Amino acid sequence: MSFFSSLREKTKILDRITESFTPSLTRDEKFKLQYKLPSEEAILDDANADISFISANNAVYDESKKQNGLKGEPVAYIFSGKLYLTSHYLVFKDAFDESSCVLILNISTIKRVERSPSASYSFALMVTLYSSSQLLIQFIGLRYKSEQFCELLKQKLRENIPNAKKLDKFLATCYSEFLISKNVLRRKDILAPRAGLGQHYKYPAHPEMAKEKAKLRLWFEYFKENGENLAIMKNPKFTKLVRIGVPSRMRGEIWELCSGALYLRYAFQGEYERILEENKGKTSQAIDEIEKDLKRSLPEYSAYQTEEGIQRLRNVLTAYSWKNPDVGYCQAMNIVCAALLIYMTEEQAFWCLSNLCDVYVPGYYSKTMYGTLLDQKVFEAFVEEKLPVLNDYIVKHDIQLSVVSLPWFLSLFYTSMPLEYAVRIMDIFFMNGAKTLFQVALAVLKLNADDILQADDDGMFIAIIKNYFRTLGESAHPDSPDIRYRQITKFQELLVTAFKEFSVITDSMIAQGRHRYQKGILENIETFVKKTQVRHMPKTFYLSTDDLSNLYDIYYDSIETHKISMGTGSSNMTFEVFVQFLGKFCDWCKPCQMDKDPAFKKQKEDFLRKIFNNWDSSSLGELTINDVVLGLEKLLTTDLLESMNYFFTLYDSDSDGELQREEVLEMSEGLILLTEPWRSGRLVDFLTKKSIEDDIAEKIVKENGDVIQSMEEIELPTGVVIEEEKYKSEQSERYLKAASSFLQRSFEYAKSLDLSEEVNLIDLSDNEDDSEAKESKRKKFQSLKHNAALDPTHSKVIDLATFRMIILADETYELFFAQTLRLSIHLNEGFATSSTNKVLKSMLDGIIADGKRVAEQVRRRVDSVATRGSVNSLDSGPQTLGGSITRSEDIDDFTSEHLEEHADLLQDSLLDIYDTSDHEGGQTSQQRKLETLKPRPVSEGNKKEDLIEFEA
Amino acid sequence: MSNPITSIKLVLLGEAAVGKSSIVLRFVSNDFSENKEPTIGAAFLTQRVNINNNTIKFEIWDTAGQERFASLAPMYYRNAQAALVVYDITKPQSFIKARHWVKELHEQASKDIIIALVGNKVDIIENDESERKVAREEGERLAEEEGLIFFETSAKTAENVNDVFLNIGEKIPLKNDNSSPNDTTITEDQRINLAASANATSEASSCSC
Repeated sequence: MSFFSSLREKTKILDRITESFTPSLTRDEKFKLQYKLPSEEAILDDANADISFISANNAVYDESKKQNGLKGEPVAYIFSGKLYLTSHYLVFKDAFDESSCVLILNISTIKRVERSPSASYSFALMVTLYSSSQLLIQFIGLRYKSEQFCELLKQKLRENIPNAKKLDKFLATCYSEFLISKNVLRRKDILAPRAGLGQHYKYPAHPEMAKEKAKLRLWFEYFKENGENLAIMKNPKFTKLVRIGVPSRMRGEIWELCSGALYLRYAFQGEYERILEENKGKTSQAIDEIEKDLKRSLPEYSAYQTEEGIQRLRNVLTAYSWKNPDVGYCQAMNIVCAALLIYMTEEQAFWCLSNLCDVYVPGYYSKTMYGTLLDQKVFEAFVEEKLPVLNDYIVKHDIQLSVVSLPWFLSLFYTSMPLEYAVRIMDIFFMNGAKTLFQVALAVLKLNADDILQADDDGMFIAIIKNYFRTLGESAHPDSPDIRYRQITKFQELLVTAFKEFSVITDSMIAQGRHRYQKGILENIETFVKKTQVRHMPKTFYLSTDDLSNLYDIYYDSIETHKISMGTGSSNMTFEVFVQFLGKFCDWCKPCQMDKDPAFKKQKEDFLRKIFNNWDSSSLGELTINDVVLGLEKLLTTDLLESMNYFFTLYDSDSDGELQREEVLEMSEGLILLTEPWRSGRLVDFLTKKSIEDDIAEKIVKENGDVIQSMEEIELPTGVVIEEEKYKSEQSERYLKAASSFLQRSFEYAKSLDLSEEVNLIDLSDNEDDSEAKESKRKKFQSLKHNAALDPTHSKVIDLATFRMIILADETYELFFAQTLRLSIHLNEGFATSSTNKVLKSMLDGIIADGKRVAEQVRRRVDSVATRGSVNSLDSGPQTLGGSITRSEDIDDFTSEHLEEHADLLQDSLLDIYDTSDHEGGQTSQQRKLETLKPRPVSEGNKKEDLIEFEA
Repeated sequence: MSNPITSIKLVLLGEAAVGKSSIVLRFVSNDFSENKEPTIGAAFLTQRVNINNNTIKFEIWDTAGQERFASLAPMYYRNAQAALVVYDITKPQSFIKARHWVKELHEQASKDIIIALVGNKVDIIENDESERKVAREEGERLAEEEGLIFFETSAKTAENVNDVFLNIGEKIPLKNDNSSPNDTTITEDQRINLAASANATSEASSCSC
């Protein structure tokens, strides 16, 4: 290993270690997050450079600089740092102090690039912008690297030419551009661009506090010096201007500039209208929820008492719900959006809301609100760390902090503070990110700590905070002798406390906190969601609560795209997922070797499709978890008749209670498919197991004969040789036979379309009928008869009663519906561990190991063969024997079942059908079951009668 | 000497926009506003009433109704002695949701919680009975099955609103006059303890006068 590669290995390990402490973001992700660039803007190249921004407007209008004898050359500061190129942006940041200079420039704003002669630099470019401002880039470092960067830049310039055409239209929507045009270019006729509702309905602010005009002027000066919107240099003055409160007219643009929504709006022009147009007239749950809240969003603001305001709000919220269906709509978004719309147009607000929900406060408004819960936890940890006294008090008095703080974060203080203050917080929030919320929240607690320490309960706590927010405009120090102190409002004090004292709360601390608590929060949510969903599942009789809980786990384990805790992705099941889902716990759906056979695969799919469609209550081609619960409930019925009826309805596609020839054929195929695991010998059914046990018992009795006096003496012969293949083939044969006799009987007992009846009807009615109708009916009858003669099966149908009779005529199929099918669905087991390749061998092992049942058999045999005196002592025998034989470690599907239990069920259902009153008596249940199973129908005719009786 | 004040922690649950906050506003301030902002998280209000010469202080937790806020609800119904499960008689879906809430409360909340099922917005059907989508009998049946107090109310016209609260108040075991101030009804409940100690001081001051 070379030195370098070993070094690389080491750094990799280091990376991994740090990753485990802090969430890992790639360089690109960090970059995009920091400069709020759209997700497409990956770094293509970077270079070290010195840059200077020479404002056209400033150079022209700043007369003093011209007189300074610099030959009219514009003067500008030089910043040293790193230049990044992405597909649409040039980004520069100062290497020493990032806050001192950050330049974000959209490439389409570049008009011309030329090489600039430079004495001190090897390579320099003069970039001229649409505004005639210039950017001097002087590259530092290797020349070929700089050349490379320029080549790439050239390429991007060419690619961005089409975008330049969109530039003018876009700039016309920017208030900064309007300010420049009006004041620099002296275009007095120009109109302000369309803005938010505040343009007509007034902006919420105290006029004397806002100092709108003075602040606007400051921004105008700033733009003149440093550029604006798509080509702007941000320096500490920018930060300062935001902090003192953005003037209302400028606010919309500054919010979208700081949040990066501006870049999205530029990149995706027309997208907002397109989303609205595309989804026009559609409905969704989100839309219903939005409608409920439209009139309840900042209702005191006059615009929201008008249809215009309501409509704008409706448009933006619905557009977002279509753009991000995982979030859809969450209460509180309406209030935040209503606030945005006061300062922004619909399109601006839409992109701003998108960035806010997706980047600023991810997960806050999700379906499970995991982001909100997580940040509450992070906030609580900060309070514990930064305000320990207060925290101790709150804990001691059982006051729940999140009761007050959750709405602060969720509605970004809009529901807590008066609007004019909340928007000031928002100014800083968009500039500095989510840490702003934590800083302000901590400051609120700190400034009210003295009062809170007097509060006894949640109620008083809430009252203190409510009162504080209501009086934010009042003096923070009303009793101070110093007038300057008296003039400081509580709000100013809040800002100072938040952004000075709690500036220690950084983004990375929040990221670390989120990382630390994420797992716990998500787990809690999962538990909660599961509890709620299971609670609200349909009432079931055959599925126990544990079954439902397991079913829930298997269901969501199958839908990989759905994240329960984050509430993202559809929670419904498509057919493909459904097949995998059933395969996890249904023996007949598990992937098997036969799947390689395309014909088998097709049959399997057809059959599963039938079940799927039958369960799909909404007919949308997707199943909900409740569909699955109700469907499985039908399959798991312990009632033989219900079970058969359900299978019948699966194939009765037109639900007329009769199966046509095609449907009967399909059904027989379905049965063959469904019984494949037993036919192939992968599984053994009760009959086979029974016969194995019988054989073993027989052997024991034979070998020990009369010697057996008490059960204690019985010993299972060690190393009994079970003829695996024999049982396998016997069972296989039995199933094949069942399948063939099913088809045979189906057509034997199928009801002919009752032609004779029709004849009679005609005969009866033809007294008065005119001869023509009579003739046509006769003709029809003739043709029917003719068809029937040609194809005797064609006109035959099977109704439910016949179907049941046919099933009951075959022991194997009867058992299948009574028990085998139900037992092949394993909801009560750890689905992950159950192996799919269970072979008969292991089953047999299980049976032998379960000595108890065999012992029962032996006992019965002993009982019947020799009814001698010692019988009385046998009662305790089986247990003793059972105890003496250790159960196999590999307890299999079947041995884990309690046979007796199933036998009872079986017995019940069978007794229903056969009137077996004569079987009652002092016999053991085992024996009874045996006898009810044994009588095979001698004559089908008798059987049919029984059935008909039962049906009535 | 007046009887001690009994505090009742009461929580309101129900689908969004069924009028939970409006019922509270009517009860607390005898006021109504057509377009109330949705409750974010939860709101907290108190109101004192006199029932049979006893003062009862309702500490009311009004929760957000939207489905996704459901995971926050346990935080608010924790230790609650009473709950109002509200639905909108013109919205069948809200009745289904009410059923769910009742089920959840029975499973998760304190065992002896008193629940009132409230069908709100009867003012809407005053002129047009066809607007009603949840029959009174349906509500009554659910209430009977689950052992709930049942009322149909209108926060707008104030119909039955106070009655719901008074009815709950009557069912809550009062603090015994004879017991010492520190003897609380539910000792393990921190909230009641606090209230009791607060009462103790106020009583002491009234005695000294």
